[in-house]
Amino acid sequence: MSIMSYNGGDVIAMMGKNCVAIACDRRFGIQAQTVSTDFDKIFEMGPKLFVGLPGLATDTQTVAQRLKFRLNLYTLRENRAMKPKTFMSVVSNLLYEKRFGPYFIEPVVAGLDPKTNEPFICSLDLIGCPMVTDDFVVSGTASEQMYGMCESLWQPDLGPDDLFETISQALMNAVDRDATSGWGAKVYVIEADKVTIKTLKARMD
Amino acid sequence: MAVEFDGGVVVGADSRTTTGSYIANRVTDKLTKVADYIYCCRSGSAADTQAVSDIVSYHLDFLQSETQEPPLVRTAAHLFKGMCYQYRDQLSAGIICAGWDKKDGGQVYSIPIGGMCVQQPFAIGGSGSTYIYGYVDSVFKTGMTQEECMKFVTNSLALAMMRDGSSGGVIRLAIITQKGVERKVIVGSDIPRFYEG
Repeated sequence: MSIMSYNGGDVIAMMGKNCVAIACDRRFGIQAQTVSTDFDKIFEMGPKLFVGLPGLATDTQTVAQRLKFRLNLYTLRENRAMKPKTFMSVVSNLLYEKRFGPYFIEPVVAGLDPKTNEPFICSLDLIGCPMVTDDFVVSGTASEQMYGMCESLWQPDLGPDDLFETISQALMNAVDRDATSGWGAKVYVIEADKVTIKTLKARMD
Repeated sequence: MAVEFDGGVVVGADSRTTTGSYIANRVTDKLTKVADYIYCCRSGSAADTQAVSDIVSYHLDFLQSETQEPPLVRTAAHLFKGMCYQYRDQLSAGIICAGWDKKDGGQVYSIPIGGMCVQQPFAIGGSGSTYIYGYVDSVFKTGMTQEECMKFVTNSLALAMMRDGSSGGVIRLAIITQKGVERKVIVGSDIPRFYEG
């Protein structure tokens, strides 16, 4: 029994033209049993900054709360919104603090710079190693399936609507090949002027 | 699962095979023919159940040549039982053997892990069955028609597929009567949906 696959769950983030998208499945399960279908793994950390926390569900909740705490204090001290790249370093620091007793999550960050609206995505491992890419990042129990879907479907400079379609298809078809993921999906498309949240109709098995 | 009615049986199964958490096959056919009027539902190790049903199928075919009559369902069930019990330490196989014969009509035999064999009016098995014991016990009644049995099987499997990670895909049905075997597949939005949280 692997701790990272005890609850199951996946997150993808993709880069588009002046936009980013981040998506997650909605299952909360205990090994093979599905307990609920409204357990989202993406949390809003700023008006244009989102973090996905797939992995052990208890740590998903705890890390989201602790991150929000650190971000709130930063915002109060600096009197400005945190940049996504800075947030990545905050996440990295929080995770490495627990280097020899880690949180069992592998986060995904997606957002736009608060001033320049430059898109940003990155992922980290469970002890805080950051990886910045300019195409897509995936994390979760169906990561191999998601890599295959993203590698074939993604192309550069997708607009918000095309990016929505691409990330949705990549996530849906990947989680349909994983027994501990799925049961619904939520997609966030983040643009300079708005954030669109859509709940996808998915296979519930 | 399998349900007996007056004139035959309805057998049904999901279509998911997993290796760990990877879904290796999402359209598996777990309803296997062992004789013209006898099917079995396979659960547990795919390799073990395929091997056992191949051997039972061979024995029944040989028997049919010798006796010049279609085999009895209880014969098939006892052949399954013989193998599952003798090799119980090496196998991981849960089988439901169901069908129709001229002598006793529709019958359902449950052969769970360990190799016991018991006839029941209906039987459920597999990892998803644990989630629907309450449902089937509350809904089942004797004297159901073929259509009621089909609805019962479909609803039960849909509920199990919703809760169990190792179950899913499509619902496969086989209705075995004197007339023969009718295969059905229930796909996508035709699968009943219940409370989804």
